[in-house]
Amino acid sequence: MKGSYTAVSVNPSLKNKSLGKRIWKNWELYLFMLPALLYFLVFHYGPMYGIQIAFKNFVPSKGITGSEWVGFDHFERFFNSYFFWDLLWNTFSISFYELAIGFPLPIILALAFNEVRNGPFKKSVQTVTYAPHFISVVVMAGMIITFLSPSSGMIVRFIEFLGFQPAQFLTDPAWFKTIYVFSGVWQSTGWGTIIYLAALSGVDPQLHEAAIMDGASRIKRMLHINLPTIVPTITIMLILNMGNILGLGFEKILLLQNSLNMEASDVISTYVYRAGLVDAQYSFSTAVGLFNSVINVILLITVNQIAKRTSENSLW
Amino acid sequence: MVTAMKESKGDKLFVISTYIYLVLSLLVVLYPLIYILSASISSPQDVNSGAMWLFPKNVTLDGYKLVFENPKIWNGYLNTIIYTVVGTLVNLAVTLPAAYALSRSDFVGRQLFMGLILFTMFFSGGLVPTYLLVKNLGLINSMWALILPVAASVWNIVVARTFFQTTIPKELQEAAHIDGCTNLKLFIRIILPLSAPIIAVMALFYGVGHWNSYFPSLIYLNDEAKYPLQMVLRQILVLQEMSAETTGASINSEVATAMNNKAETASLIKYGVIVVSTLPIVAVYPFLQRYFVQGVMIGSVKG
Amino acid sequence: MQTTRKPWKLLLSSALVVALLAGCSSSNEGAANNSTGEVTVNKEGFPIVDESLTLTLMAPDVGIQNWENMKVLQQMQEKTGITLEYRNAPKDSFETKKNLVLASGDYPDILYAAGLTTAEQMNYGEQGILVPLEDLIEEYAPNFKALLEENPDVRKSITAPDGHIYSLPVVELSQHWYRNPMWYNGDFLKALNIDKLPETTEELYTYLKRVKEEDPNGNGIADEIPISSVTTPAANLRDIRTWLLGAFGIYEEEVYVDDADKVHYTPLEEGYKEYLTYMNRLWSEDLLDHESFSQTAEQKKAKAQNNQVALFSDWHAYMSKGGEPSTEDPMFAPVRSESVDAPAIAKNRGITTGAFAITESNPAPEASMRWVDYLYSYEGAMFFNKGPEGILWEYTDKENRVKKYLPVPDGKEMEDYRATLTPNYGIPAPTLSMDDISKGLKTDFDLWVEQETQQKLLDQGARIPFPTLFLTVEEQTEISNLNSDLSTYVKQMEAKFITGAEPLTGWDNYVVTVKKMGGERVAEINQAAYDRWKSN
Repeated sequence: MKGSYTAVSVNPSLKNKSLGKRIWKNWELYLFMLPALLYFLVFHYGPMYGIQIAFKNFVPSKGITGSEWVGFDHFERFFNSYFFWDLLWNTFSISFYELAIGFPLPIILALAFNEVRNGPFKKSVQTVTYAPHFISVVVMAGMIITFLSPSSGMIVRFIEFLGFQPAQFLTDPAWFKTIYVFSGVWQSTGWGTIIYLAALSGVDPQLHEAAIMDGASRIKRMLHINLPTIVPTITIMLILNMGNILGLGFEKILLLQNSLNMEASDVISTYVYRAGLVDAQYSFSTAVGLFNSVINVILLITVNQIAKRTSENSLW
Repeated sequence: MVTAMKESKGDKLFVISTYIYLVLSLLVVLYPLIYILSASISSPQDVNSGAMWLFPKNVTLDGYKLVFENPKIWNGYLNTIIYTVVGTLVNLAVTLPAAYALSRSDFVGRQLFMGLILFTMFFSGGLVPTYLLVKNLGLINSMWALILPVAASVWNIVVARTFFQTTIPKELQEAAHIDGCTNLKLFIRIILPLSAPIIAVMALFYGVGHWNSYFPSLIYLNDEAKYPLQMVLRQILVLQEMSAETTGASINSEVATAMNNKAETASLIKYGVIVVSTLPIVAVYPFLQRYFVQGVMIGSVKG
Repeated sequence: MQTTRKPWKLLLSSALVVALLAGCSSSNEGAANNSTGEVTVNKEGFPIVDESLTLTLMAPDVGIQNWENMKVLQQMQEKTGITLEYRNAPKDSFETKKNLVLASGDYPDILYAAGLTTAEQMNYGEQGILVPLEDLIEEYAPNFKALLEENPDVRKSITAPDGHIYSLPVVELSQHWYRNPMWYNGDFLKALNIDKLPETTEELYTYLKRVKEEDPNGNGIADEIPISSVTTPAANLRDIRTWLLGAFGIYEEEVYVDDADKVHYTPLEEGYKEYLTYMNRLWSEDLLDHESFSQTAEQKKAKAQNNQVALFSDWHAYMSKGGEPSTEDPMFAPVRSESVDAPAIAKNRGITTGAFAITESNPAPEASMRWVDYLYSYEGAMFFNKGPEGILWEYTDKENRVKKYLPVPDGKEMEDYRATLTPNYGIPAPTLSMDDISKGLKTDFDLWVEQETQQKLLDQGARIPFPTLFLTVEEQTEISNLNSDLSTYVKQMEAKFITGAEPLTGWDNYVVTVKKMGGERVAEINQAAYDRWKSN
């Protein structure tokens, strides 16, 4: 049984009945939905009015309702910034780079884990690869700086030991994105396998037995049985990640950023962080955040549509 | 795990390469982890100058002493465990039924609900409106302020829904329905038992989220006695990292000297703090791992 | 790959931290508004009130000691008759908590060491959340009033454009450093037989070059680093920049006022260009640590401890170099370049605003003012700074305020113990910091440092680069808007000019861009504010 992504209809006989009947028949499902719906309504939609300051010139002494409406002024200011295109480019390229490298690796690793017999070796490798996920961003950045320090970093010394000339990893703009992405991959790959491992547990062993009878090699079996089973999961994860492209967090970048690599390391979130919190411009930072969200939504919908057309799997 | 009958040469090569790949991954990940462990017990001078690069140098347990001698630590551990367990249970109770309902194509309105939920992943009102809401609900300074506002995550609901759709056999559900099974019974008697991997994954994701969280505690809790582990650790670390330039306080020589000394210790415990907060989780994982075994559910279907 | 995007959400959310201030607090009008309670306040002497009075107080907490158990606060309570209920927040999250509390309408009566910025004072003051203090000072704060009379600049600096004083400051009369000073490595000076410290930029250059070439730490390796600096995301080179800018007649790295009352925006000045040229020279000859832009403070310290650095910035030299306080490492005497007669040396402004404020929910502002006024007297400042007499210190000559330290109880570190006695530890608490407080308590080393400061900084014309003052909300907004792009660009270009990534011939283009981004406007706005301040 291949992993299909279409929703399951348990009651085919309902197909042609009236709307009311269909709702009534599945009344329990609405109960299932209730806690979650309540939660989102109360804790997410409730506070949502705060978004409007993106369109106002928020002056604290006048409050939100008293602050004047400026429409798209903040957005214009952002678009007209000297650094707008650089910021956009940096944000997009780092995110896509991260996706390109960091998305396939957990899948490959999960498939590899799956091929190995259960036992102490498998367990220890798994546990070890999960551990980096828990390292705080501050320590992570500190370690990166320590390891790559031109005078004392161990990676640098290792490169010199091999006879090569190490690059200025920390200050050369050309290296920033790579350092950022690869350290991120190092940190998150292990943890990322969890979802795929869970999905792989849905593979039918009988299929494998049948395939072995037919003389299929391991590779073939992995590619034709295991992989297709998790394709729905992969698709969903891809869509969700694409919908988060501009959501690049600022903490790690801020810690690795310096005046020399800034042209490659300044992204939307760090720029806004400086403006929004350091200089207290709440409307502006809200506006930029809104811009990000809109772009993310557009991306999400686009990728979702593509997924819908090309496969049976999609977010909705 | 399918036991191989007779492995061909190609297969043998494949297996060996897989093992090599795993060993390499292990080494690549392992080195920095050992570094952290060593750094947590080495003298800061050696760590910062790069003299320590693998094995501890000038071993000192001062860092750990500082952390564990702080009486608040144990309370912090206790609190975190409580928040994590309760929080995760709430998460599961909210997420799983909803994800299952959304996985059913005969569920009228599922697109609407899905859209409503997805929307909140992108647009949010902000910290102050949320804080006011929590305050108006009377939750300030209570454990529930850490649990209810994060009762479900869109991401996890989507993932859980995906699992339900792909791994629970359709035939099974149809058969049960024909037998007269109500949705509730179906869910409890059949779906859940088959969902061990899903539950395990959700428990892990949500659990770790609770374990690592500190920001909600920061803004909603007033009593130190209620602080979770991460808050206590942060306090210790921040205390050590206070520097003259940043406090704006009136500085004189004694203060500066004291701060200077503290900065040294901060260097030291930075790494120890990670070990202290992470070790429990990393130790728990192996127990959850057995749910991720291939065919664990399908087998029970046949049975 | 499940990456947590929480930091982004946090940013977005935090960006709305102050968002609903008045929006919601105006709908939360329930807060009590009686400033004239039935509390009778004694205008002088103690206790301050005859019937018991309880007030709530919010302050940043460093987490060492529960405020209710601090001896200073307990004794203060007995003395004044005012009981305080503490609603503190941890120091590192205080900003967030403060804004949330003020937005929620549930105000504490007193804000202590809250670090209110001028913008916050104006905002909350205009809304009526903060009570104006100038009348209260007149009537109920004799100590602070006297302080204002002796230092009229203080009044100018704490008065908002609308004429009200919304908070009391920390007044620093004894600490004159604008930034941590720079220090010479004494061992190197000796090894190279230097008996007179460099006085000009050329002499400095020559010295640094000698350090690089002549192996003063004697280990046979050319590992010396003449100057090293540290990075934090906000502050590349900040620890040495102001000192070196002074050589070219510039007092501060962003905005300063010259002797003719004209306000300058540093990144546009000729002197700044000369600074860049000089730094570029140091960089290209490897005299300025090439890791200055990317290393952490700890890494720089490790280098200093390894006796590799010749010139560096820190509170005291031994803090970087390790070991005991030593008078062998002389303080950096600011050098001058050929284009000026004397170096421009910046001095501590002496005022940090926003240390104490009273909110509209406070039932007894008069009593509160009397309470805090004590902290601006010698006795009160002494008490809150060092704790009660007889624990950590005692008088040897009370007349002349000379004291000595006593052995620390429980054999602890003095500062650690002091933190359990008084709240004034690591937070910008309202008080007066004066020389008399540490009279008799200074070690020989402290006295030596004072001497160095006097000779090399104060006697050489150190002055405040730009006074503490209020900008109007519009001025504030405009400058913040400009700075998003401006400061990013300036910082980037500085690094490029210094490292040579951008040749100095690109200066003219740089100036054009800075002007386009509004550099001159920043100077204009500050000039207007300065003129206002001066004429007050």
